[in-house]
Amino acid sequence: MGLVSRVVEESGIPTVNVSTGRDITALVRPPRSLFVNFPMGNTFGRAGDNVMQTKILRAALDFIVTAEEPGVLVDLPLKWDDDFVYFAGETTPEAVAKQMKK
Amino acid sequence: MEPIKYVDALNNKYGSMGFPPYQWSENDTAPWTPLTKPLTECTVALLVSGGISHCTAAPFDPDARNDHRVDAIDPGEAMDQYQIHDSYYDHADADRDLNCLFPVDRLAELAELGEIGAVANRHWSGFMGRTYNRSKVLNESAPAFVEQLKADGVDLLIAIPA
Repeated sequence: MGLVSRVVEESGIPTVNVSTGRDITALVRPPRSLFVNFPMGNTFGRAGDNVMQTKILRAALDFIVTAEEPGVLVDLPLKWDDDFVYFAGETTPEAVAKQMKK
Repeated sequence: MEPIKYVDALNNKYGSMGFPPYQWSENDTAPWTPLTKPLTECTVALLVSGGISHCTAAPFDPDARNDHRVDAIDPGEAMDQYQIHDSYYDHADADRDLNCLFPVDRLAELAELGEIGAVANRHWSGFMGRTYNRSKVLNESAPAFVEQLKADGVDLLIAIPA
């Protein structure tokens, strides 16, 4: 995704990435990144939390205006209520066997 | 809490599934295009990589490799007409309310409020992970995507990896 943003930016359209994977984003270095320390899949908050969704979306839009340095990565000061872990996906033997056939 | 170390976690997962070692892209610099007009005059598009497709279209394949598919998403369509097929993140919340990952309705509200100029005619879903032929992204699929954005007069893109 970061690679796509880089190509889009190079073509003359400004981009902002809103990421829940800080280490991946730091490596790929899109032009502008906001890191949200929420579970992957909840980039803009919880289901039905329109206020939070709008807050993060506005932060992304504002960041396009205020960011000044190519490759900048800023941590949004937001905290998810509970600790969360890496989502390992379906790990049943059947699911893994299906995945490995690809 | 400390951010999750996805690079290590995904390397382990891919390895356990017999995928070839994944060479993550690493860049020291980044391209830059300044925004030249106010947000209130900008046409804004969203791009998400979380396996979202219209329920009448084929689902994304969560375990595909080198899948360069990118679907147009009609911002006027009801968001409950979309399905998610991705096994690399927990989309239980997004299944109930797509906006917590892909805030199509929230963006429309900001356009209504006049905080942005307009929502683009099309949003986008695609560029799933596990892309080993990265030069094809850089040289073919991303440039083709740019042409679509330009056709829609998009002034800025919000990209949401998942």
